[in-house]
Amino acid sequence: MGVAELKKAELYYHKSVRSEVAKVLQESGVCQVVSASLPETVARAADWGEKLALYEEQVTHIRYLFRTLGSFFIDPISSFDRMLGERPVLSMADMAAMAATTDLGKISARVKDLEVALSETRVASSQHKVNKDLLLKLKDFPYSLSVVGDGTRSLKGVVGTLRQDQLDSLIEDLKPLAKETELFVCKGDDDAKASKTKSLWCVLMYAPSVEQRVLDTAVHASMSLVEAPAHITGSVSDELKILDAEIAKCDKKEAEILESLKKIAAETMPTAQKLSDYWNNMVERARAMLSSDTTESTLITHFWIPTESLPEFKKKIEAVSPDIALFDRAPIEGETPPTLMKNIDVVRPFEILTGLYSPPPYGETDPTPLLAPFFFAFFGICLGDAGYAIVMMAAMWLLFRKYKRVPKTTKDFIMIFAYGAVATLIYGVLTGSFFGDFIDAFFFMAPFRAVKNAIMIMDPMKDPMLVLGFSLVFGIVHLMFGLLVGAYDHFRHGNYADAIGDKISWFLFIVGLSLFGLGTAGALPGLLFDLSKVMSIVGAILVFWYAGREKTNIFSKIISGLLALYGATSYLGDILSYSRLLALGFGSAVIGMIINLLGGMASGIPAIGWLVAITVIVGGHMFGLIINVLGSFVHPLRLQYVEFFGKFYTGGGLAFKPLGLSSEYVDIAK
Amino acid sequence: MEYLGLTLALFGAALASLLAGIGSAVGIGIAGESAAGVMTEDPDKFGSCLILQALPGTQGIYGLLIMFFALNKLGLLGGGEAALVTWNQGLQILASCMPVAFVGWYSAIWQGKTSAASIQMIAKKPEAMGKAIILPAMVETYAVLALLSSILMLMGVQLG
Repeated sequence: MGVAELKKAELYYHKSVRSEVAKVLQESGVCQVVSASLPETVARAADWGEKLALYEEQVTHIRYLFRTLGSFFIDPISSFDRMLGERPVLSMADMAAMAATTDLGKISARVKDLEVALSETRVASSQHKVNKDLLLKLKDFPYSLSVVGDGTRSLKGVVGTLRQDQLDSLIEDLKPLAKETELFVCKGDDDAKASKTKSLWCVLMYAPSVEQRVLDTAVHASMSLVEAPAHITGSVSDELKILDAEIAKCDKKEAEILESLKKIAAETMPTAQKLSDYWNNMVERARAMLSSDTTESTLITHFWIPTESLPEFKKKIEAVSPDIALFDRAPIEGETPPTLMKNIDVVRPFEILTGLYSPPPYGETDPTPLLAPFFFAFFGICLGDAGYAIVMMAAMWLLFRKYKRVPKTTKDFIMIFAYGAVATLIYGVLTGSFFGDFIDAFFFMAPFRAVKNAIMIMDPMKDPMLVLGFSLVFGIVHLMFGLLVGAYDHFRHGNYADAIGDKISWFLFIVGLSLFGLGTAGALPGLLFDLSKVMSIVGAILVFWYAGREKTNIFSKIISGLLALYGATSYLGDILSYSRLLALGFGSAVIGMIINLLGGMASGIPAIGWLVAITVIVGGHMFGLIINVLGSFVHPLRLQYVEFFGKFYTGGGLAFKPLGLSSEYVDIAK
Repeated sequence: MEYLGLTLALFGAALASLLAGIGSAVGIGIAGESAAGVMTEDPDKFGSCLILQALPGTQGIYGLLIMFFALNKLGLLGGGEAALVTWNQGLQILASCMPVAFVGWYSAIWQGKTSAASIQMIAKKPEAMGKAIILPAMVETYAVLALLSSILMLMGVQLG
């Protein structure tokens, strides 16, 4: 229980077996490879660098394929299923064989070609569409369009738009050049003619000799010129036909390219997904091995390994070659070994919660087994409804029945909620809460009322002060437990003054005051009442002494001591913080009650009332469950992190991250 | 004037769900803007972002809860006869609704801001999800305490 003991290991081996060694290191999954503390003159394993570059190239190809083909591929395995372990089972050897026969570079080159062709086709198609739009504007232009492109020897032309109300002035301006020019105004739609500010499309034709004058006149009349594509030279109707044909051709080509991309996606994506896991693992392997030291023919790899995994690893690595030497030693002063939390199976899921805060430093207390029972109980009190607990359990049962290979971390996370559901069930039964007041709210539940009332020991709705008191007592127990753990840690490190002055003192003070409070209410036998007075006084003196112990001046001593005693208010705040247990429990009960009330009201609607009522009740309780589970997870967690950890735990360790096989798309068979 | 008490009480119930609801809407909106920004870079963070965005939503629910609690107390739910409320009792119910109304309103907005910041945090450090959830939950503490105050106060009000 707590933090696993680690050893620092050094592995010496000949270059020729480096791949095999790397394979064993990775597949055993118990070694965190680190770079050596040797002087820098020793060369790093350069050939692993070359390999790394090669592997990363493959990963780059895969990323490109995922990005490009992802939208063309409908994954037969949903990401939810995949998260819960529904993946094909393959060994690294299977994937290596697949990798040897799959040329990812070639596939991505092909996809890249198609991608380029696709964008070229799309550009061409949109160009054709632009031209078509222009021609549609000029559709009653009677001459060949060669006039407006490059023009002929005796005639040139420009296309432009002109506001309706400028037309007359342009015609007027062109009068002196009437012989050399012709203005053709396209009919356009009626709409444009009706409005004076709408623009008209026109073609202005002229003899090349007067080009400049004509253009000046046109610009003067605010005609805005539009560049006509030079390659369009036929009549408008011919050119439109050609353009339509071109557009159809582009559309066809685009469809073909998309079709082939879809086909490639269907063929290669499943393989690419598997290879993604393979190459990413190879990259991890090469990256870790890169930190090995190398001499002419020997490599030295340094890593952390849990002591208990050492014998088995030794056996595996010695099977690779007889010329391998493995040395191990305990961590020395100045080294910071990573932390591997190690707990019994029941507690293990809660390691996630500790990890979310910060793992303990190596050799320090792992708070996981300490927080687990409190989190369990607090979750139960906050959710506190037997009906919700049963729904959660049923959902998890179905989930584990359907998914047999749920990955460990996902499973652990779900297990936290499974434990929470058990606590919720217990608390729900004890407080008579089943989907809120479902049993009391509906007449057809009447037969169960007697059973409910017989087991129930308290009703938070009727006696909230009892539950509040009980929540605060729970809080005091939690906080005091934290203080004792802190005292134990100080004793272990030989800091007796800190243990007594900073932890035990507060323990005595707070417990003494709490008991004293109970005693004044007459709830304690005389002896205990006297003891409580002694405890609080001794505690207060210790707090006072500890705060001022390093001050030399008597006044500073007194001021520090009094300030420290004033710190009792923070304990008051901490204890009151546990009133959230009552509040959140209330929250779920009242939300449940409201849903039942609304359901009951809905059942009064004629004819379809029962249907509405069922919808309201089922939907409402689903909503209530989700909201309350979130709250029941977050708030107990806060009580651990802020109130409980605040008394003894700071975290700050580095998590042990062994080189191993990770996977996203396959289940790697060992 | 015989309905003054009931009106005052209803005013309180309305404020509870109204102010707390506004607060949650604003808070979730603030967090949502941040979440959308993060997801444009990394759509896979949808799950974590959604949880963080949802955190300031509880105040609205607490407000609703108090509103129902008050309505239930007034006998306005379930179609029976409404309770007879003097103006004094009406004021008492109005006062009881105040903690959740105002604390809910303000805390949801600030919780939304903290959530938005937490969302930015997990954008860079997804492994810090635990801490990212706790920071907004620190703000929510006061909404929970206000809820508790309102519930206890409402339970204490005696309607004759």
